[in-house]
Amino acid sequence: MAWLRLDPVTRKRLQRFRQIKRGYWSFIILMTAIVLSVFSPYLAESRAVAVWYQGQLYLPTFQFLPMRTFGQAPPPAWDTAEIETEYFRLQREWEAERFLHARDTAAATAAGSDAAALAAIDARYPNRANRVFMPPIPWDPYQNDFWSNEILFEIQAALDAGDSAGAEFLARRDQLNELADAIHQGTLAAMLADPEQSATGKLPGLAKTGAMASIAHLGQAPPIAPDAGRGHYLGTDAQGRDVASRLLYGFRISIFFALFLVLTGQLIGTIIGSLQGYLGGRFDMLSQRFIEVLLSIPFLYVVIVLAALFQPSFWMLLAIMAIFQWISITFFMRTEMYREKTREYCLAARSYGASHWRIVFRHLLPNCLTPLVTFTPFAVVGAIFALTGLDYLGYGLPAPTPSWGELIDQALQVENRTKLWLILAPFTALTVTLVLVVFIGESVREAFDPKRYARYE
Amino acid sequence: MSSAVRCWLASLALWCGVTTGWAATEAPAAATRITLPADIVWQSNEDDPPIGSAEAVRGGRLNESIGSYPLTLRLMGPNANDAFAGWNRLFTFNFALVVRHPVSDRFMPWMATQWAVMPDQRTLYFKLDPDARWSDGKPITARDYVFTWTMMRSEHIVDPFYNSYAERFYESIDAIDDYTLRIVGTRPSWRALSDYGGLFPTPAHVHTLDADWVKRTTNTPQVVPGPYVISEQVRGERIVFQRVAKWWGDGKRRFRGLYNFDEIVLRVIPTERRLDYLRRGELDLMAGTSSRSWNEDFTFPAVRNGWIKRARIMTDWPSGMYGMSMNLQAPIFQNKDFRKAMQYLVNFDRVNQNLMYGEFSRLVSYFQGSEYASPRVKPYGFDPVKAREHLAKAGFRRPAELGATSWFGKLFNTVRGLLFTRSDSDDILVNDRGEKASFTLTYGSKGLERHLTVMQQEFRRAGVDMQLRLLEPGTAFERGLERKYEMTVTGRTTNFYPDPRQYFHTSFQAVTNNNNIWGFGNPEVDELIKVFEEDLDADKRRAAMWRIDEIVHDEAFYIPFWEAPFLRVVYWDYIRFPETWLPPRTEQLTDYMVYWFDPARKAALDQAMKDKKALPVDASLDKDYYGLRAKAAGG
Repeated sequence: MAWLRLDPVTRKRLQRFRQIKRGYWSFIILMTAIVLSVFSPYLAESRAVAVWYQGQLYLPTFQFLPMRTFGQAPPPAWDTAEIETEYFRLQREWEAERFLHARDTAAATAAGSDAAALAAIDARYPNRANRVFMPPIPWDPYQNDFWSNEILFEIQAALDAGDSAGAEFLARRDQLNELADAIHQGTLAAMLADPEQSATGKLPGLAKTGAMASIAHLGQAPPIAPDAGRGHYLGTDAQGRDVASRLLYGFRISIFFALFLVLTGQLIGTIIGSLQGYLGGRFDMLSQRFIEVLLSIPFLYVVIVLAALFQPSFWMLLAIMAIFQWISITFFMRTEMYREKTREYCLAARSYGASHWRIVFRHLLPNCLTPLVTFTPFAVVGAIFALTGLDYLGYGLPAPTPSWGELIDQALQVENRTKLWLILAPFTALTVTLVLVVFIGESVREAFDPKRYARYE
Repeated sequence: MSSAVRCWLASLALWCGVTTGWAATEAPAAATRITLPADIVWQSNEDDPPIGSAEAVRGGRLNESIGSYPLTLRLMGPNANDAFAGWNRLFTFNFALVVRHPVSDRFMPWMATQWAVMPDQRTLYFKLDPDARWSDGKPITARDYVFTWTMMRSEHIVDPFYNSYAERFYESIDAIDDYTLRIVGTRPSWRALSDYGGLFPTPAHVHTLDADWVKRTTNTPQVVPGPYVISEQVRGERIVFQRVAKWWGDGKRRFRGLYNFDEIVLRVIPTERRLDYLRRGELDLMAGTSSRSWNEDFTFPAVRNGWIKRARIMTDWPSGMYGMSMNLQAPIFQNKDFRKAMQYLVNFDRVNQNLMYGEFSRLVSYFQGSEYASPRVKPYGFDPVKAREHLAKAGFRRPAELGATSWFGKLFNTVRGLLFTRSDSDDILVNDRGEKASFTLTYGSKGLERHLTVMQQEFRRAGVDMQLRLLEPGTAFERGLERKYEMTVTGRTTNFYPDPRQYFHTSFQAVTNNNNIWGFGNPEVDELIKVFEEDLDADKRRAAMWRIDEIVHDEAFYIPFWEAPFLRVVYWDYIRFPETWLPPRTEQLTDYMVYWFDPARKAALDQAMKDKKALPVDASLDKDYYGLRAKAAGG
């Protein structure tokens, strides 16, 4: 940190902070998480990071690419390739082509087919050389994935149409290998015909009886339990949106919201509190009364009333909450200033003819920073909690903004009480984040303990 | 009047202050003595079978729930239209002169035993049942009906809706003698009994109308014509209804098998906790379960053992309006092609199959469930290709290419691609003026958010940006009335007869605060409304309404949602329903209260629970005695 000129006391404090391992590591983890969350589109996004298609590289994060770009067939009922490519499906489709190509080629070679037959197989799977590179979580926080509820009907429709190759491709694409093999080997028809295995004679019935264990979890409406094969590492919510993705984006929003809010609040609070303490007298008296008035307004109710009348955006909610955020710090800054301004170094500065501005911000403030620094992490905790609470109550950011509060709200609905992943994910995330921030706060408080070091000039 | 007023209450008292043109003239003073006309022909209808079951037995206690404690026990005045109103009206307001038989749709005697509609189609005579008694034992006479009208017009009740209703509908109400009543409506009507025969009595000997009335009566139990009076009220906890000893209606054919419980206890229980109470046996019955809960929550032992039963009872009540409305005065929705594109982008099946267990059916017509729904109106259905064509006609297309050419633009795009996800990027359609295909949908129901976010994503895929804005329900409703919205979700219940005037008439186009929330106006529709209201030829009226339906459908400013043509009921085995379950024209489970407590079953259930034995479980949850589902599919 040579480039940053720090005075010895501050350097000592930082050193002390680094010595408190719990706080230091919490700080490192949280900072990493924040920095990573900034690049969420590369961690959780339904658009591919990159697509290698016919010898050319595409970067879908920067560009809208319709389905026709890659010759992708539109989803059922859409009938138009002018909509954005479904990259996750594209990836699976190309993988399935690779698999089928390898299998067919091997079978043909074993049967001793000629070059023309092999070329025909090559022509059947033209996309086998193409690649899609998806982010680790292949879902954005908004996409409704009803796959689990729909796929069996889709495959059944292909079977009903007599297109067993198409049905197999669908099953293969979605990695329902047992089903795909059954279709390929022609054993599925017998299973469906057996009323013991499928009461209805259709695939959804087969899934219900559990006769084919690997598809027994299908045919369910969301929320669906964690399913790594589908890329839903933490399951989906009641609208089929990926919980992991929503957690990540929810973290990004709440942590930045909290940081913005606390920084604005502390800045305003510090300025006002310092002026109160330094100027004293009538200004102090009047502004203190004003603060008392503001304090007597129940803050959460005001936000709720305002939110009910016009649902606020991110910045508006920030502004509303900042109106109340700055108050608490003023008390500490005010008392600190009252104490510090009577000290000799202040009198000395004044006798040198320093301006009020310079005295407050150059001389006094650095000596009053302890409460500011120690309270800030806890203010962050409060802000995260407030936003989560508002979202939980439905007065936070507008739908479909990803948010922890909204997830908790869903989890606590009567009909979702048995869906444990819905509550565990946001609860764990919230707890871990808050614990990390509290650890940091405690360590900062210890490192900045004024009894240990004092700074007078 | 019961259903008529209920409907209007639900769709709020919008007429007040709007329909000044209709303000009735002062009632002529009844100085001269009124006599019955010589040529009067009395009508009655004793042919229809009684609503209730002959099997029903009297007795027992019904434990039911309400979501919140009532703000008032009054029937009129401030706060009288809260959640408790449904219960409050059951034993007062629903005891009208005549009611429509919920199976045959024909009028049947209720408080009046006979009636006569004069050829002018606005003068009606009623012979009251002389046995009728108030719950305090005093006879119910014609004066009590006149008093209802007096009260409705009184400024002391502080109820603009009733004030306006009384003025708008009744020219005069007079007692000819103790048990004969004359009602004169403000205008001739081909549905005179429906418009004017719904009057209910109010005990004249109980009420003194003065400035203090509202305050005095707020927590006073009503003196009622019906079979139950409030016997206990514990603020915030419960309300108990006790059956009137020797109720006057007992033994009358028309009340057979109705109102069977001796006591009804309404506990204040939050909606989402009702199931817990039911499982513990603290509630006997509940209706209005959500789809998800219905399909997933009922796997516990009491259900498997047949101790708690479930039924999905088909009903047939006109659906009213429920869906997304577009403000025709918002610039983006002035283009009909754009509106049609929106219609084609709503993927009802996807929402229904994945969020609602495929249980709901699509609303199509504005007058769905009545004979006035045009059979030629077909739902728009999900069709992105057509949507695209209409969007193109409206001038919207995908922004040609996002890649900006300047180095700054490229840098900007790179940074944006790095930091933001799809909701912030530019795949939204634009028109030549550079305006985005973007609008805001305001809604007041958090429960609907699930469905709306799914639709939002579908719109988004097609390049249309629908922003969601959840408002407090009252505010959302008000924004609709004031036309301060672009698109909004609205619902309006309907009367047995639809009322197109308040929704579609041009006279409401320029002014706000009425049910014409779209700001729609069309001279042809105005003419057709007139035909519907005044023409005495039923076929012409129907043809007019069909035409309105088709015009409204083609204008595409209202995207109908869905309806649930059934009531879901969960109940302990000792509650019994008639073989017919509920009459088809049932709006809510409490209408007529045809179910009863069966002591024999209660004993059997207690024994079964003690022995941990199962009772027979119904093979099918669907109850469709009247074949309504087939009728709906065929019609």
